[in-house]
Amino acid sequence: MIYALVVPGPIEDVEEVRILEWHGAPATRFASGDLIVELETHKALVEVRAAHMGILRRILCAVGEWQKVGQPLALFSDNESEALPDVVSGQEIMTVNFEVT
Amino acid sequence: MTSSERPPATRRLFFREAIARALAEEMERDPRVILLGQDVGAFGGSYKEFTGLLDRFGSERVRDTPVSEAAMIGLGVGAAGAGLRPIVSITYMDFLMLGLDPLVNYAAKVRFKTGGLITAPVVIKTTAGAKGQGVAHSQCIEAWMMNVPGLKIVAPSTPGDAYGLLKSALRGDGPVLFVDHKRLFPVAGEVPIAQSLIPFGAAAVAHKGEHVTITAHSYMTQVAMKAAEILLAEGISCEIIDLRSLAPLDIELIAASAAQTGALVTLDEGQQTCGVGAEIAYQVRERTPSLRVARVNTLPAPVSSSPVLEAASIPNVDRLADAVRRILNA
Repeated sequence: MIYALVVPGPIEDVEEVRILEWHGAPATRFASGDLIVELETHKALVEVRAAHMGILRRILCAVGEWQKVGQPLALFSDNESEALPDVVSGQEIMTVNFEVT
Repeated sequence: MTSSERPPATRRLFFREAIARALAEEMERDPRVILLGQDVGAFGGSYKEFTGLLDRFGSERVRDTPVSEAAMIGLGVGAAGAGLRPIVSITYMDFLMLGLDPLVNYAAKVRFKTGGLITAPVVIKTTAGAKGQGVAHSQCIEAWMMNVPGLKIVAPSTPGDAYGLLKSALRGDGPVLFVDHKRLFPVAGEVPIAQSLIPFGAAAVAHKGEHVTITAHSYMTQVAMKAAEILLAEGISCEIIDLRSLAPLDIELIAASAAQTGALVTLDEGQQTCGVGAEIAYQVRERTPSLRVARVNTLPAPVSSSPVLEAASIPNVDRLADAVRRILNA
């Protein structure tokens, strides 16, 4: 299964975030609870953690780029041999936990 | 090289970052620029808009002050008269009232009183607007301040304008009231990569249109832009003028637009009586007496701590759109 990691929400007052740091490159395997990415809002940091196992396949927003809440940041899959789709929209949304600090 | 290959001319920043960048550049450029205010140092500002300045410029130039707006503004104005270029952060615009004597009776008048020998190049930066904080932390009193000769007032709606206007404010002869808004801090926007200034007294056409001219400033410009989208779907094309500068006011741009469209709706979050819109409407009608005008403002009651009553009292997209429909059908 292919999953899209999207900017999680809702976060009060936040429509748009900036990518601060990826905690893995493509092919990294994330277990449930692992920190995937840190995002910057106008006043806080958002830590996004995997809620299930997944392999990071393609980063869609590099560090320093901006993305809106609900829009895709990366593609994940259950195993590394699955073919990635040409279009990002319409993918299953990856379940994550996030904390705003 | 095609346009898509050119290096970008702008960079996207949060509103607070645009303010911090303008300040850092001006403090770097001119050692006379100092920052005074509550929580401006280690805390980095109520909206983090001063983050990094204490580390970079030190505690002599970035100074936390006691909780006394009269003393803070008095200190800033006095330091300006003595040759520094202070920016004083007054967290909420409501608290400006406590420091009006040094601002109005000294800073705004000293250049006139001394025949130009002494100026007060001070910037008072403050945050206006309603966002869930009740009667005495929600007000927009720009119109009171427009009543003071000698005081310049700017109120940007975007990070790019905040950057360019704050830089101009810090270089001028002052005094300047720089007004931002609680609801603008979550906003991000494009800011020029190269250092640049925006002159005072120059409004911007935020949206071109044909049927009605809408004036707005600060957060209300966003409300106007959303209303314009809804109205466009009904076949009504709105020209939105973002005032940016309230004193001096770019009345010629506003009047020319209104003369072209034939109708003017003023939108501001302050009170209607003797408000920003009243002044604009009168000055525009001096130029085009037959013009249809309407004003949209906060209702004449204190802004409640109840979110329901707050939303009911401050101008919103529906109230603005209704005002536009009414004026065009009248």
